[in-house]
Amino acid sequence: MSETATPSKTEKKRAINRLKSMYPLRNVVQQDYIDTLKASNEGKPTVWSMLNYWEGDLPLKAMGLNIVYPENYATLLAASGAAEPFLDASDSDGFPTHMCGYGRSTIGYSYRMMKENGGKIPPDAPLGGMAKPALLLGSGIICDARFKWFQSLARYFDAPEWCLEMPMMATYEGSEPDLEAYQVKFLVKELKDFIAFLEKLFKQKMDWAKLEELTDLAVKIHETTYKISELRQSIPGPMHATDFWSSMPPSLFFAGDMKVSLKCYQDMLAEVQERVNNKVSGINYPERYRLIFAELPPWHSLKFFDSLAEMGWNFVFESFGYHAPKPPDLSKYSDPCEKLARLSRNFMFNVFPEAKADNIQNPIVETYLKIARGFKADGFFMHPLISCRAASCSLRTVQHWEQEKLDVPSLWVEGDIIDKRVFNPQEVLARAEAFEQTMDHYRKVRKSRGLDW
Amino acid sequence: MENATPALFFAGIDIGSTMSKAVVVDAQGAMRGYVVGPTGAEHRRRANKVMEDVLLKVGITLDQVAYIISTGYGRVNVPFADKQVTELTCHARGVASLFPDVRTAIDIGGQDAKVLKIKSGRLTDFLTNDKCAAGTGRFLEVAAETLGLELNEMGQISLQSDTPVKINSLCTIFAQQEIISRLSEGQPLTDILAGVYIAVTTRVVKLARQLKVEPPVVFTGGVAKNSGMVKAMETVLGMPVLVPEEPLITGALGAAILARDEAFKLVQDGHYKIQKKQLSEAYIEFTEKKL
Amino acid sequence: MVTATTKGLSRAHEIYADRGKRVRELRKAGKKIIGYICLYPPIEIITAMGMVPFRIFGDMSEPITVADKVSTTVVCPFLRSIIDLGIKGKFDFLDGAVGAHTCDIGMTTIIAWRDYIKDAPFTHLIDVPHTDHAPAVDYFEGQINFFKQHIEELAGEKLSGDKLKKACELHNKQRKLVRDLYDLRKSDPPRLNSMENLEVMVSLFSLPVEEGNELLEAVIREVKERSIKPAKKKARLLVWGPVFDNTSLYELVESTGADVVVDDTCVGTRAFWADVKAPYDLHALAQRYLVDIKCPRTYRDTQHQETERSYDKDLDSRFSYIKKAVTDWHVNGVVLQSVKYCDTHGYEVPNLRHYLDTLGIPSIYIEHDYSERSLAPIKTRVEAFVETLG
Ligand code: SF4
Ligand code: SF4
Repeated sequence: MSETATPSKTEKKRAINRLKSMYPLRNVVQQDYIDTLKASNEGKPTVWSMLNYWEGDLPLKAMGLNIVYPENYATLLAASGAAEPFLDASDSDGFPTHMCGYGRSTIGYSYRMMKENGGKIPPDAPLGGMAKPALLLGSGIICDARFKWFQSLARYFDAPEWCLEMPMMATYEGSEPDLEAYQVKFLVKELKDFIAFLEKLFKQKMDWAKLEELTDLAVKIHETTYKISELRQSIPGPMHATDFWSSMPPSLFFAGDMKVSLKCYQDMLAEVQERVNNKVSGINYPERYRLIFAELPPWHSLKFFDSLAEMGWNFVFESFGYHAPKPPDLSKYSDPCEKLARLSRNFMFNVFPEAKADNIQNPIVETYLKIARGFKADGFFMHPLISCRAASCSLRTVQHWEQEKLDVPSLWVEGDIIDKRVFNPQEVLARAEAFEQTMDHYRKVRKSRGLDW
Repeated sequence: MENATPALFFAGIDIGSTMSKAVVVDAQGAMRGYVVGPTGAEHRRRANKVMEDVLLKVGITLDQVAYIISTGYGRVNVPFADKQVTELTCHARGVASLFPDVRTAIDIGGQDAKVLKIKSGRLTDFLTNDKCAAGTGRFLEVAAETLGLELNEMGQISLQSDTPVKINSLCTIFAQQEIISRLSEGQPLTDILAGVYIAVTTRVVKLARQLKVEPPVVFTGGVAKNSGMVKAMETVLGMPVLVPEEPLITGALGAAILARDEAFKLVQDGHYKIQKKQLSEAYIEFTEKKL
Repeated sequence: MVTATTKGLSRAHEIYADRGKRVRELRKAGKKIIGYICLYPPIEIITAMGMVPFRIFGDMSEPITVADKVSTTVVCPFLRSIIDLGIKGKFDFLDGAVGAHTCDIGMTTIIAWRDYIKDAPFTHLIDVPHTDHAPAVDYFEGQINFFKQHIEELAGEKLSGDKLKKACELHNKQRKLVRDLYDLRKSDPPRLNSMENLEVMVSLFSLPVEEGNELLEAVIREVKERSIKPAKKKARLLVWGPVFDNTSLYELVESTGADVVVDDTCVGTRAFWADVKAPYDLHALAQRYLVDIKCPRTYRDTQHQETERSYDKDLDSRFSYIKKAVTDWHVNGVVLQSVKYCDTHGYEVPNLRHYLDTLGIPSIYIEHDYSERSLAPIKTRVEAFVETLG
């Protein structure tokens, strides 16, 4: 980990200049699957959870429970090219095919496990698979799929389900300052009920001190990742999107040991800082264009970014929904549930106060306007998904306002997180070449308007 | 007409998207003759033509046919039919008349595919695919064109292959490109063809799996004549399939048998004469159109 | 009397054909018209403030042409249609638009409304929690309260408890009348067909509650006096699914030789089973909307805090109201329909079908994209389904 600044010779040949500090973080999640499976073989329960922006992760971890994230597992299925039989199984059990690819593939996983394989993990499941759940933890955050999909899993498992609550995404109504206390009160009540349920289900008491300790660690991790994000605004962009996607699980859902993760992120911060000091780029080709990727990546075709890097396209930022915002100051609160509630709620509500500046009501649009300015974006790579509404529905509006307010153009490429049939890399590369002219043109337009990039 | 000799025959007409078929059965439900011809753009004219042909073939006149049921995609365009019934119900009936124990029927047509679950001769559940050409006869046509073959040559050639090429794309256009690149890689024609069959059947079997395939399975539709397809179907399904002697006409056959059942029911209910009169009027209209 | 009795259905037909006609007149006379999306904005509050709640629907026969600049194609086409119509100025008679977070895209529709549709300057978005947990009901009560305060600002006056009570009673009366109307379809054959029924329902969503109640009373009188045609059809169907605001689907189903005798859709019974209970306060509203409306958008925690879970019990507590409808209306087949890309309903499909299987009720699932064109290919499948019932 010492020579983080200069890429080694072998790495130089690669189009993307990967951060050394990314690898240990990438391994965390893989190791987590293996450890959880091992624990399950020893008789320990496994919890299946949706991403819940920490309000569920931390109580579970404080109780020492092993967690897997089907949503994340689905990305592994796609990345290893193993998703198809699982998607087919979901179709064959009657689930409509237009629904979330993550949902379909893990519904298929559950179907094959319980209906075809006598409760055993399907043999073609990567990383050993996910053990049977003792609890299904759904979540009302971000999309409808996240609680309906887990509710549907009851078809296969007798495990109880819990659905975590969260006030809706920041909007004009939700962001009035006097609403904060009311929202927190709701979350605290829900969290207390949830923890009481966990205690009953797993016949063990919550370790409140541990919960507070982990919440503090969470804040530290997010402070670190937030600093990394800020550094990434430098020119050239020091960290490529693919490095972010590979290293995000320990901050997005705290995979692994949080103390170790904190150290790893601190290393990453140091490495990124070094790169910034020495003007080292995240790609091994001159940075010709700075791109923002919105929103969820094509997990099955990540190699595709190499070809774009060779063209000098640096993906300097990506997927705002995967980024923890700057954490709030929790020191003045004493109730651990309240700390947790505020930490989680902050993800949904941190953007809106600034949104009023542009007089636009859609908080996602505002977030991306801010990102485009901060990162001096030349263009957006818009990736609307055929199977997910939540992460796609606002992209048209984002595209519209980026163009209107900042003269930043978008390349619109339909695709999917899991299903690779609609994605044709050859065709996209051809369009990308043409898009360079568009980006060149708007660079001039922005300059003429007095914008500084 | 009121006192005409009691008619002894019943007919089924199936106007499919590419082929039209007509079948005549007698009072016992036994098939007395059938014809098959291309549908073309004008359904009505085609309906008249196949009807005329099948009457000729059996050697009877229209007024000897007591009841006619039309089915298939063009079923509304058969002016002389007494009743319209969907191709799903008709196929199930036709297949069950040939194979009384059948539990699953898979039909691949020119532009669609269907899977039927049948119990005691009755349709209980079904699924259809008409959106994706990759799971229909259309895909084979495209492949034949790409490979420069006649459709009917295809089956025999592929039977010689033990190592079918994998065709990954599910979209017809992409698959076509894939076939071309396999050819240019120098893969043997037989292996590519066998790969095409596997690709089409895999698509349809996926549909079938949604209804849980139970044996005996009957495979029908134009492509079931192709021995390469039958072999692929058995491989992908992992079980043997039964193929009727004439796999194209099961829908029309089912319609004819249903026509017989329906006429008998009408006799019982005392409505038979009314129907008979309507039939005569339709006949007049039909012969007039012909002139 | 004679004119009054014959007027019900033809009046409904008229309103169905031009939904905005009556509210335009009312607006000219000085009434405020408040549009709302979905079943979750508590319309009692709008009525109590002396305004007219008007349910915003799409238009299946109008091609979507301008919505693409706001939304991607893979979202609920019903909501896309609403945005499309809005941008085209078709809701220019509204003074306000109220939405609720009943589904994700429902929420973004109101957000997009603010940025793109300049008619209806007053907009409000109500958060609806996902569960029916007790803290969620309290939270939802708070949301209703914010909505109340906001609309009080628009009206320039405070809402009194008395007015709210009166509005609740009027809407409850409407719910009761709708249930009476549906009772008229229990006979075989039903006394009124599903197309007529839908025209009445759509009318109710386009009129002030008192006028809706008058209409219902007239329709019920008229239908009761009808002589029943003896022709029975072979199937009595229940249609399930999200919003269906157009008679075309019912026409399609009935043309296959079936009667649609009852439904569980959000233009049909779904909004009318549950009343607001005394004391008609905001908590009662929260309870009625969040807990008592049975829509797949709410995670009804049927085994709350239970550590042992039973799938069958869960299905039964989620769907037994459908079992009751099946029994009471003598249903022998269920058509599950949904627009494409509706997640809340999509995930429900296999589970509901499974439940119906255990009741011995055959079912079929059909998907369409909220356009008349997309219905045609479905017809053969529905017809074959009806044939299997015969
Ligand atoms: S946000 Fe989209 S991809 Fe993620 S779980 Fe929801 S529907 Fe699936
Ligand atoms: S149909 Fe589904 S997606 Fe559309 S508004 Fe209704 S619940 Fe939402």
